[in-house]
Amino acid sequence: MKLDLSGLESTVPHFGTSDGLSHGFPTAPSFDLPITGDFDGFQKEAIQMVKPAKGTTTLAFIFKEGVMVAADSRASMGGYISSQSVKKIIEINPHMLGTMAGGAADCQFWHRNLGIKCRLHELANKRRISVTGASKLLANILYSYRGMGLSVGTMIAGWDETGPGLYYVDSEGGRLKGTRFSVGSGSPYAYGVLDSGYRFDMSVEEAAELARRSIYHATFRDGASGGVASVYHVGPNGWTKMSGDDVGELHYKYYPVTPSTVEQEMGEVSGA
Amino acid sequence: MSIFEYNGSALVAMVGKNCFAIASDRRLGVQLQTIATDFQRIYQIHDRLFIGISGLATDAQTLYQRLVFRHKLYELREERDMKPETFASLVSALLYEKRFGPYFCQPVIAGLGDENKPFICTMDAIGAKELAKDFVVAGSASESLYGACEAMFKPDMEPEELFETISQALQASVDRDCLSGWGGHVYVVTPTEVKERILKGRMD
Repeated sequence: MKLDLSGLESTVPHFGTSDGLSHGFPTAPSFDLPITGDFDGFQKEAIQMVKPAKGTTTLAFIFKEGVMVAADSRASMGGYISSQSVKKIIEINPHMLGTMAGGAADCQFWHRNLGIKCRLHELANKRRISVTGASKLLANILYSYRGMGLSVGTMIAGWDETGPGLYYVDSEGGRLKGTRFSVGSGSPYAYGVLDSGYRFDMSVEEAAELARRSIYHATFRDGASGGVASVYHVGPNGWTKMSGDDVGELHYKYYPVTPSTVEQEMGEVSGA
Repeated sequence: MSIFEYNGSALVAMVGKNCFAIASDRRLGVQLQTIATDFQRIYQIHDRLFIGISGLATDAQTLYQRLVFRHKLYELREERDMKPETFASLVSALLYEKRFGPYFCQPVIAGLGDENKPFICTMDAIGAKELAKDFVVAGSASESLYGACEAMFKPDMEPEELFETISQALQASVDRDCLSGWGGHVYVVTPTEVKERILKGRMD
């Protein structure tokens, strides 16, 4: 009986002819390569050009009522803020979310590719893909591009038959299952607030506030995070967007400015 | 990121009608991490002379201390305050002394000179003076600041309008810079008074 390996095939164009030896097995996916004299040097330069510093803060955690996913919305190029309104929480399908950290193009493309694969899985197997399966699909793709300069630090969060699921997947090929993750340059600050405030049995509102606060504190301390703190909740019936608060306004909500009565100091007028 | 952007800063000075305004951000950071949100960059030398120093914070503080020392000596000897033009020459000379191992700073000097005529100037890290009639900028957000000031500046503004303009220009520019912001500090100086104000800004 011939094994049906079509699920492992990717939609990326195949390169090279299939000889008799590898007949039946899908060839490794590959893109067109540039025509240069020094390909290694070109690759190094390309990697350096594209490699952003993962300037962002994203976090996700599992609790009693599901998974909470939150992220900031700033895109920075070195010191310049290129956008304050980037969508870093990607809706893979109505039951799964992915977060974006690292290269925006890389994350957007591969998450959409993952969404396609998840849908194909649904159609072929008449059931929704598990979070374990989806994260494995993504991790395998990223591993095959290891060393080529992709920059992806993502968390796959969803609710499947086994309950809430959360995986961390990155472009080095790592894949970790866990209950609390934060990714990006602002993650140390977010971890501080998240770890100290976390309890498994929180209500949805409490968990949303914890996620919001963690992102806010990360945007305060980290220069590369800011903009809007978006909070999503993944429950048994899929994900819902809980809030999207501007971090500038959150600061004055958490720490309101009390006008201090300072008497006007009169300085000495010279000469006159 | 270069050594000038290690701590992050934003400085701007603008000329109005018989007055001037000098403003800075309040962030002190170590590359991307924010350490303080109340860092002082603008110092008062005498009644009507202010200097703001952007760039590496340690060099800014040391340079300021040396300038205060020199100015105090001058005051003792001459029994009068230094004119802004003279002070600018002093800063320029001090910076050029370190030509082959410079202070990583960019000062912005603003003062009221003879007949209360406003004077502003900036210089690079080795003391090249740049005099301007309208506005001068410095810091990691300087490119944004140039754009914002160019768009918002009008000649001969009254102190209140000048305050609004310089505040808006500063806020707009630092909101596009990861390394500066977290509030603002504005001094508006007229022949009769100095008004110091703290701006509420985005704290991200």
